[in-house]
Amino acid sequence: MPREKDRDWDDNLYSKIDHYNLVENLEQCLQCGKCTGNCPVAAITPSYNPRVIVNDILAGSSVRLLDSEEIWRCFWCANCYRLCPVDIHYPLLMMQLRYMALENGYGLKYVLPINKFTFRALEKGLTFVPGKRGVEKIMRLRTSIGVEPWPQVSEKAIREYRAIFEQTGAKAWMENIQNMTEKPVRFSYLEGRMANEYTKGNNTPGTDRQSAG
Amino acid sequence: MNIQRVITPRERIGKVPDKLFLFRSCTGSMEYPGTENGIKEVLKILGVEVVMDPDQTCCSGYILTCSGYKPEPALAVTARNLGLVEQRYDGLDVYAFCNGCFGYLSELTHILNQSQSYKDMSNQLVGQWGYHYQGKARIFHVQELYYQLIEKIREKVVHPLTGLRVASHYGCHYLAQQYGILDDGDLPTFHEEIIEALGGTPVFYKERRMCCGYAVGRGFTHKESVVQPHLARKFDSAKEEGVELMTTVCPGCNVALDREQIKLAERGFGPYDIPVIDLGQLIGLALGVPVWKLGFNANTIPVDGILSKLGLGKGD
Ligand code: SF4
Ligand code: SF4
Repeated sequence: MPREKDRDWDDNLYSKIDHYNLVENLEQCLQCGKCTGNCPVAAITPSYNPRVIVNDILAGSSVRLLDSEEIWRCFWCANCYRLCPVDIHYPLLMMQLRYMALENGYGLKYVLPINKFTFRALEKGLTFVPGKRGVEKIMRLRTSIGVEPWPQVSEKAIREYRAIFEQTGAKAWMENIQNMTEKPVRFSYLEGRMANEYTKGNNTPGTDRQSAG
Repeated sequence: MNIQRVITPRERIGKVPDKLFLFRSCTGSMEYPGTENGIKEVLKILGVEVVMDPDQTCCSGYILTCSGYKPEPALAVTARNLGLVEQRYDGLDVYAFCNGCFGYLSELTHILNQSQSYKDMSNQLVGQWGYHYQGKARIFHVQELYYQLIEKIREKVVHPLTGLRVASHYGCHYLAQQYGILDDGDLPTFHEEIIEALGGTPVFYKERRMCCGYAVGRGFTHKESVVQPHLARKFDSAKEEGVELMTTVCPGCNVALDREQIKLAERGFGPYDIPVIDLGQLIGLALGVPVWKLGFNANTIPVDGILSKLGLGKGD
């Protein structure tokens, strides 16, 4: 990895990422590594290391954070948070770090397939409504167990739900993300890793996302 | 840290409610409609009245945590849904039956209640339709109520699950709650106690605490690179212990664990053949809820073997 240049350091990185003030105690991080040791994703993607990510955020080093493939692998299972001795809510930090990556054009491919369902939710008030055939299947299933063919969500509920997304600017933000140019992500935390960690089967860098989209 | 992390159901819930507000789960009402139906039937047997409201929407937490949108709409949606419950069903507690709904509602109400400016922002927005969230509504998961009613459940069993080896999947978004959950997030046992009360044999497998891998959309974007190898570890350990049936308390986890097994086999893992149903559906089976009402046709891994072991058929 090339050395960071002066302009890559940002003393305000932490406050920029934690824009919503959801992880106020990050500076208390002990760098103990309990988060990483208990992380199921780190067990499969060894270059994913929540402790190092916290360190980079506090140090203000964004150079490998934003275009990192690793940050898109977190499950949000919150094992890290549950075991953190100082209760750092790492998942809420990850959520916001990903906003920053997206706004810089990274990782769009990891959010757009999911956002497709949000746009649909604005029509139905329910998330993960499938396509036409899926809907028919649901209606058959529900009818067979003696309940209304479709979950009872009122028109009023849908209207207000949609309005919330419009009025908070969330819909515009999603549309904006849709129209951005995607920049490639890479495994940016590989240095210091044993090379053969990546030669076994599924861990090969660059083989993800066969199924999305 | 002066707040107790693990508490008893009596401390948490207090008096068993006669009536509760059941929070509709999107996945629970579409992917596995038998879950919602089964839970309603079980609560009826246990003497608890259920209220739902068509004006309730999705909790909108899942896609928020996928970074699919910023927190403002999710906070406002939470204020709307809970403000609605506070106003229309004064004093009723909110029970989710999806760990996602439970976790996101807990987290988002925590944020609303800690930050006056987020609360004002949300209330201002939803005030245009007359909603106002005060912060009174308490959030529970139905699994907590099952545990509080465990003796009543034990009494009402009509089809004991004798000899059935059942493994539990608790799900992260319940166990990850830091404070005030029913059990130790590391070594929870209350599901196993419920399974025992139903006459079944609870099975402790090594990876029972392990995440389903679908949280936050990784099943959409990183299925092959992360989710499948991860799940294979979970199922390997379940298979080793001779698990016959797995239970979840989250329709989202159920999708991951049930739907993914065939795809895992296609990739050379396993093969696995472990039906996965909701804990509420299992209680329903033992308590004699008609099988057809539990909607097992929605499952990818057939549940028929389990039913015939219990002397039941899908049409019963
Ligand atoms: S567990 Fe908490 S304190 Fe320890 S390194 Fe991780 S974030 Fe820091
Ligand atoms: S929430 Fe993310 S970082 Fe934390 S343990 Fe789970 S996968 Fe790892």
